[in-house]
Amino acid sequence: MDLKTSIGVSASGLHAESLRMRVIAENLANADSVARTPGGTPYRRRVATFQAQVDKATGATMVKVDSIVGDKSDFNRVYQPGNPAADASGYLLQPNVNSLIETADMKAAQRSYEANLNAIETARDLTMRTLDLIK
Amino acid sequence: MSIGTLDAASAYGRTLNAFPPMTTAAGDDSATTAAQAAGGSDFGSMVETMVGEAAGSLRQAETASAKQVAGKGDLVDVVTAIGAAETALNTVVAVRDRVVNAYSDIMRMQI
Repeated sequence: MDLKTSIGVSASGLHAESLRMRVIAENLANADSVARTPGGTPYRRRVATFQAQVDKATGATMVKVDSIVGDKSDFNRVYQPGNPAADASGYLLQPNVNSLIETADMKAAQRSYEANLNAIETARDLTMRTLDLIK
Repeated sequence: MSIGTLDAASAYGRTLNAFPPMTTAAGDDSATTAAQAAGGSDFGSMVETMVGEAAGSLRQAETASAKQVAGKGDLVDVVTAIGAAETALNTVVAVRDRVVNAYSDIMRMQI
């Protein structure tokens, strides 16, 4: 039945969005993770990319996390000569994490998750109401 | 009277034919193939298929719940498995109630 399949599709969306949420949490948690050696690279912001995938059993197009890739943008350079990880000229590389962007991304992930939850709720409600026809 | 019974039987047959994909998804296709071999209009095999499917979903839900309790499961999997089991059980109960009602209607009939 297609309603059951649509619940499966929404569940794949929940999986994908929760992984995206995990990646955002990692970015936020590591917003201040710098290198331990002078001139080393700090934490690099990561982004989850999604991919459509046809489920062979049902023929439905699910979503799955394709890969978690590093953000290629430049690290922030801050003048902190006292920091043990600062380079010879006194500059410290900080992660390319912008907490405002992460917060906006988190809201987007939250809304997408809620949309999938709503889709599951509707599909289940429709199934139950169809069953009610013969009660 | 007999025409009505045949109508009901063919309705059950249609229901039965509508079920195999769900059963195959649950991983138990032996009952389905048996039902199809019987011509698809056998009420007994339809009930067998549905009960088998409901039992399969319940078993999956139980496995998922046990994993979750052990801390290894995934919350989404548990919720969807329990939802599927609930739907399957509700379907079986609704159809059974309907059939029992029809049976008692026939039993109450004036001869």
